Amino acid sequence: MTHWPEQLVSSREAEFDTVDMTINIGPQHPATHGVFRMVLRVDGELVTDCEPYIGYLHRGLEKLTENHDYRQAMGWWDRTDYLAGLCCEGAYCMAVEKLAGMQVPERAEYIRVIMMELSRISSHFMFLGAFGADVGSFGTSFAYAWRERERIYDLFEEVAGDRMFPTYFRPGGITMELPENFEARCRQLLGQIRQGIEDLDGLLTGNEIFIERCCNLSPLDTERAIALGITGPILRATGLAWDIRKAEPYSIYDRLTFDIPVGRQGDIFDRFFVRLSEMYQSCRIIEQCLADMPKKGLILDPKLPKTLRIDKKECYVRNEGTKGEYGVYALARGGTKPYRMKLRSPSFCNLSALREMVVGNYVADAVLILGSLDIVLGEVDK
Amino acid sequence: MTQDSPAKSQLPAAGLADEIAKALPGIPVQAVETTTDLDLTVEVANLKPFVQGLRDRLAFDLLRNIVGIDFEADGMALKYQFYSFKDNRALQLTVTTGSGHPHVPSLVDLYPAADWHEREAAEMLGFVFDGHPNLKNLLLEEDLHIHPLLKEHPLQVGEVFQGIESGPVGFPS
Repeated sequence: MTHWPEQLVSSREAEFDTVDMTINIGPQHPATHGVFRMVLRVDGELVTDCEPYIGYLHRGLEKLTENHDYRQAMGWWDRTDYLAGLCCEGAYCMAVEKLAGMQVPERAEYIRVIMMELSRISSHFMFLGAFGADVGSFGTSFAYAWRERERIYDLFEEVAGDRMFPTYFRPGGITMELPENFEARCRQLLGQIRQGIEDLDGLLTGNEIFIERCCNLSPLDTERAIALGITGPILRATGLAWDIRKAEPYSIYDRLTFDIPVGRQGDIFDRFFVRLSEMYQSCRIIEQCLADMPKKGLILDPKLPKTLRIDKKECYVRNEGTKGEYGVYALARGGTKPYRMKLRSPSFCNLSALREMVVGNYVADAVLILGSLDIVLGEVDK
Repeated sequence: MTQDSPAKSQLPAAGLADEIAKALPGIPVQAVETTTDLDLTVEVANLKPFVQGLRDRLAFDLLRNIVGIDFEADGMALKYQFYSFKDNRALQLTVTTGSGHPHVPSLVDLYPAADWHEREAAEMLGFVFDGHPNLKNLLLEEDLHIHPLLKEHPLQVGEVFQGIESGPVGFPS
């Protein structure tokens, strides 16, 4: 039996000791879904620390808005969540309408809801495609998702003249009347969308590797999610049926019938599945709007003043954006410009919880967890 | 069409001010109605005990947002938006401070969600959040110590938009 001298044992241990390594991911990296950078500290394959860096797309949205007319500033706001620009426009317009005490004509409200829900579907398609690619479907899911997204954008182009940033809404209504065959076109599109969702559902949810990879990864409980400020599909995935469209209804959502899909344990698969189910609900909402919409009527009150002047008032308007609670704080103190506008962007708040979700998981899963947050950097960086 | 359904916007706020006064006695509060929510103003020194009371006794468990505002000669203010899932109601809390680099207690230990909001308010307006573990720049460059959302900060920096003759382009030192 050999007795190793004490000194030798400790030196050999030092020889085999592991050293934490630092890995930088981004800002130019396909897995970060935009210009986002995270520095991971890894022990072998396990992540022991994670520091996110944001701000690469900071455009000074709030400062610009403070220095422009209420209507001029609108164009920047649909460049925040650029995958669902119309939802952002909607939130901004609602904030201005709240301050000015404007009424939106009923027909305009229905058209707004249709367009916002179409944006939500297109944004979720983008998530499904990109997330499938993160998991490893090598672009097949991306191609499927892109096909449907293009169809939705074609409709946007017909209606508003632009694909991603239509600037279609205005404080007090919308700019243009719908094209003549809109209802038939929209119903046809809904059929195609449903087929597209089913295709992606079959491709991803029907795939055993996908399920194995996503189930039980990074589960989150409701209480912790709330403490971290997480809202939207990620919060609903933890099992809490909270949707601002139901809890604090805005626009005409209190007249519509739809369900809130929830998950069970808040893992990656639940987040994916909640979004998938939400798309069917959005289709339902659009169908109801098409049926109930007044066929004629005003879309923008022609008697509105050319320049808005708003006295001392403040509001905090919140919408159910595609990623969570999209809040706009607005303060007016007289004059033609807002005194302060602040965006509470859901991606920003969800991303701030990234560190807690990633630590303790594998490096390969860190990319997946980031993908499951469905961040949009335009919204994170303002 | 109004933006909120009328049943939601008015009713809870009216009772809320009384309920808070009852649940958190001893802290002077000024209540005002904004267009959307009830707004309460407290002293900076009372901020932390008040917020703790809101969270523990009145179930305001979500910190939605923190807004910093520069009122120029009238000092600065911070607005906190809270939400209670249990009672489905919202609340806004205001703290007014002086100008310069006002010190405000950090809420990170009560609400982890406050972390990035406070970092943003610190870099954009120069607030100092006492007790925040990591108060470095979030959206701006790490070594850029400007506060762009102060009203005195110009929208156009230097001679960027003046044309070729105007000289070098850059950030103010």
